Amino acid sequence: MRKLVWLLALLLGMGLAQGEKLKACFIYVGPVGDAGWTYAHDVGRKKAEAALPWLETRYVESVPEAQALPVIDRFVKEGCQVIFATSFGYMEAVLEAAKKYPDVIFAHATGFKRAPNVATYMADFYQVYYLNGLAAGALTKTGKVGYVAAFPIPEVKRHINAFALGVRAVNPKAQVLVRWINAWYDPAKAREATEALLSQGADVFAFTEDTPTVIQTAAKKGAYSFGHYTPMLKFAPDHVVSGQIVHWDVIYIDFLKKVKEGVYTAKNLQNVDYFWLLQHKAVEMGADYGVPINPKHVPLLQKAKMRVAGKEVAVYDRIMALLKDMSSPKPTFDPFTGPIRDRKGVVRIPAGRKATLEELLTMEWAAPGVVGDWPGEPK
Amino acid sequence: MEEALVRAVLFGTPILLAALGALLAERSGVVNLGVEGIMALSALAAFAAALGAGPWVGAVAGVGAGVLLSLFLGLFAITLRANPFVAGLAVAALGLGASGILGKRYEGVPLENPLPEVPLALLSLLLAFLLHLLLYRSRFGLYLRSVGENPKAADLFGVGVEGVRYLALGLGGGLIGLGGAYLSLAYRPSWTDGMTSGLGWVAIALVILAAWEPLRAVFGAYLFGLLFFLQFRLQGSVPIPSEAFAAMPYLLVILVLALSGRSRAPRALGQPFERGR
Repeated sequence: MRKLVWLLALLLGMGLAQGEKLKACFIYVGPVGDAGWTYAHDVGRKKAEAALPWLETRYVESVPEAQALPVIDRFVKEGCQVIFATSFGYMEAVLEAAKKYPDVIFAHATGFKRAPNVATYMADFYQVYYLNGLAAGALTKTGKVGYVAAFPIPEVKRHINAFALGVRAVNPKAQVLVRWINAWYDPAKAREATEALLSQGADVFAFTEDTPTVIQTAAKKGAYSFGHYTPMLKFAPDHVVSGQIVHWDVIYIDFLKKVKEGVYTAKNLQNVDYFWLLQHKAVEMGADYGVPINPKHVPLLQKAKMRVAGKEVAVYDRIMALLKDMSSPKPTFDPFTGPIRDRKGVVRIPAGRKATLEELLTMEWAAPGVVGDWPGEPK
Repeated sequence: MEEALVRAVLFGTPILLAALGALLAERSGVVNLGVEGIMALSALAAFAAALGAGPWVGAVAGVGAGVLLSLFLGLFAITLRANPFVAGLAVAALGLGASGILGKRYEGVPLENPLPEVPLALLSLLLAFLLHLLLYRSRFGLYLRSVGENPKAADLFGVGVEGVRYLALGLGGGLIGLGGAYLSLAYRPSWTDGMTSGLGWVAIALVILAAWEPLRAVFGAYLFGLLFFLQFRLQGSVPIPSEAFAAMPYLLVILVLALSGRSRAPRALGQPFERGR
């Protein structure tokens, strides 16, 4: 018994000596159980903690934007060395806090303002949306694809445009019918918007909303759909074709490792911006983890053909080839490669070049084939 | 057009059920501002029970949760004579908060066998008629209305004011609970925090809009359902911005409320009853 106590004391002593845990703290805008945005960040936090033995984390959930500063104050008092703020609306509070606490490292998700001790990060879906668009274009029989959209901001518009470009690449006459619900989370609106699109003939669906409502509604009428943010195959195993899945942990682990190694300090983050895509494994195309396309729908997509550089190829092969390319360290393909005109015919990306990060982040135009109200559409 | 009518009825159903529940309580003089929270907790109870024991047991559990939480409100609003408005708001917050915490492990869980919407919609319509008959064609309805209009007089005639109020609040809670169960078992067969998304508040407004008449509540609920659907059906085909569309159902409710200023609430609404005062 006494030996055991000594052993424990020894282990404890070693633990303390080894000690020096890095403390990272997270501010969430919603509840961790929302099954969407905050949930995904919290999964990332847990995976980072599991992967990094020297990491210790804390979080506060459902923090209104006006309350961010007091929460940061508390975090700093409790010894947080790295603070992740996971909502666009925290931007000003983070910058203010960064001035107040110059030795603390901040990272702000989806923001665009940085400082010596404030980095920004984002895991983006636009490539995955393009690939899902290819599948949607192949699967629609009515030529009408429905999109239930959250807010008309550049991020959502970029995703709809990438999706529409994919749909049109397979099916040049298809339309993407967009309906705005003006909410990130509102299952009732998502349901009725889907019903409205179904009654207008849409038979394939994608969406931005934090619940599987669109999928469930579409499946009732036999329509195909693409999951969003988390794996949603289980909600309609016969109708979910694929989807967009996020992996925030990839960014968290990379960032925290670099902090631990001293690569990132509170003085050199001015230009640190993660805009991580397929090649960084921050996002995944899939109906479920590791299932890029629901096996039930693979034959359909193999049968469907499209023209690529004059040659006829199966849509399935095209999707898998592009997925492989964009997941490789040096992708050669990008959905927003010119020439791309908007739906009014204005050239938005000239021939032979890719959209810049700036162009991606401020995208307001609507791609050809997009039908519906488009707030903020340039003249 | 046919589609729009179907949507009006199917989306109007949870609002109708909740409004009928609130209406029943109010006709007895008890204000129930807890509807949103009662719906949320009932939706969770229904979903949890349905996972283990099937959807119809789930529906019963939802009704039961609605009854219990309403009776809890009654404890404060009727027996302890607390301010019924404050007590109602507290119950709304309690139901929403508790369902959020207790419901965490049901997030992202699919429901294998949802309830069909159409029979439930027909049932709610039937319940509206039954409620009408109960209020105007039964002795209990007479007592209930008299308790809501003039509890002192009812008391003098030997009607147990508090008992009637508890019964009305509890029965109403069952209807609200069924509305919650409809949401999580049929309308959107899954559970997420805050999934009632304000429908309870709409139902409370609808009671006033319906001038405390069950059959008018049917009309109001379906009107709201229709407008809710149309905002998405018409979006993009008429030159009205989507944000304005989103506000339309609520604006209409306010408008009708303003116009229905003449409709009269039960006289003793919101007044705790104390014998001899």
